[in-house]
Amino acid sequence: MVKCVEVGDAGLNDLFKGLLSSGAVDGLVVPQKSGKSVIYTLIADPEKIKNPVPFAPSFGFNAANSLRKWLIEDKILGVVFKPCEARAVNELIKLEQINPDAILLISVDCEGTFKNEDYTANADKIGDKLTGNIEGVELRAACTMCETKLGEIGDLGIAYMGLGGTTVIALNDKGEAALSKVEGLAIEDKEIDRSSLKAEIKSAGSAGRETLKKELERVNEPLKLLEVLNDCIVCKNCRDMCPVCYCKECFFEQPLGNPHGGDLLHIADTRGDVRIPPYSLFYHLTRAYHVCVTCVSCGACEDACPKGLPLTLIYPVVAKNVQDVFEYVPGTDLEEPLPLTTYEEDELEPR
Amino acid sequence: MGDEFEPKILGFTCNWCTYAGADLAGTSRIQYPPNIRIIRVMCSGRMDPLFVIKALTNGADGVFMGGCHPGDCHYTKGNYYARRRIVALREVLKAFGLDERVRLRWISASEGPQFAEEVTKMVEDMKKLGPNPLKEETV
Repeated sequence: MVKCVEVGDAGLNDLFKGLLSSGAVDGLVVPQKSGKSVIYTLIADPEKIKNPVPFAPSFGFNAANSLRKWLIEDKILGVVFKPCEARAVNELIKLEQINPDAILLISVDCEGTFKNEDYTANADKIGDKLTGNIEGVELRAACTMCETKLGEIGDLGIAYMGLGGTTVIALNDKGEAALSKVEGLAIEDKEIDRSSLKAEIKSAGSAGRETLKKELERVNEPLKLLEVLNDCIVCKNCRDMCPVCYCKECFFEQPLGNPHGGDLLHIADTRGDVRIPPYSLFYHLTRAYHVCVTCVSCGACEDACPKGLPLTLIYPVVAKNVQDVFEYVPGTDLEEPLPLTTYEEDELEPR
Repeated sequence: MGDEFEPKILGFTCNWCTYAGADLAGTSRIQYPPNIRIIRVMCSGRMDPLFVIKALTNGADGVFMGGCHPGDCHYTKGNYYARRRIVALREVLKAFGLDERVRLRWISASEGPQFAEEVTKMVEDMKKLGPNPLKEETV
């Protein structure tokens, strides 16, 4: 049994307003429609909630990225996020980049997303909620391998897949407390079982993943990878837009990782030659390792790449392989320690 | 000898076990190929996978890492962390065909012969694998 409220799509507006005006949250991050596009807004005044579209299948960046260093103590921020964004929030909580007490995490069902520019161009065709395939517009690669499409992460879930109408579900005590503060909601106890839907999503996701794994084979040799990275300009935008690549002082911003002047000449002297900007291969391999256990497979890296490199292959697909080794699904369980911060005495042998 | 490919292998050995094991191999006058260049680190847990990636992208043919046997770490648990890291790193490198050039072995201070054996084996394997293709590339 779970506490839930069936609000319908029309009731979401009131729900968000209620969360703000009841003081359950001091601010609310929610995607809203602006023209034909979807923008993320941080709202403090309930009256400013005009056109929330939490289910709109548009992905420009992972909004959890903006929450890094959300460490304030006396305010609560409500966030209405897609599952991959909500999982990134949970990972950032584990990495101590977000104060969990300062967040009310609300996740929504998501059937997959389009690049935001594709969404804007086809907004009329797609609408505010994805139902089935849209001809002529392709889902983002990362979404085709997604196994966590249900809004079951965090404190509250806003669900519609496999249900009669859009329903807000309290996922824990914190969510229930927030929900009960909102006036005019008829909270009821209900049995919600979406396990068959979950299994369906999982098998579709793993089928998508197999396809991407095949594609990954095109870089299964160092020289092939180097060739793919020929177009990389080492702008490091994939790092900046990655929600879980959080280091304040990145190695590749320091003199050793970002050599200039004489250092660069010295490298050329020892090796005979060097690319400029240097270290594209070193950078990508290191980053692939750095995010390998926390990567939530959102694909924001690929969207952020100005050169259109297939970064979904290099980051999420590779990271998933590593996560399989540790049987870890990032962002789903706050209690489970990050695999590289713990160990078991008897495991992983022979290496 | 002549034109036969001689791999260059970078070795990271922990101060307390594998480095002492390598030392023992030396003082016991056990023969092993001179292809390995050893860097002593205080613990296998000190070996940042970044070192490995940098060595590989700079053209090292292999990276050998040695630590204390599980349970024997001088700092109690450094080698457990190292094991997880290197397993994760090898899984990442596997996608790009570089994982076979990286290995982590447990060699204690008394295991001079085992050190020589592991190095000999690694050199043989790297010879079979051929030179690191990144060596001749502009990276």
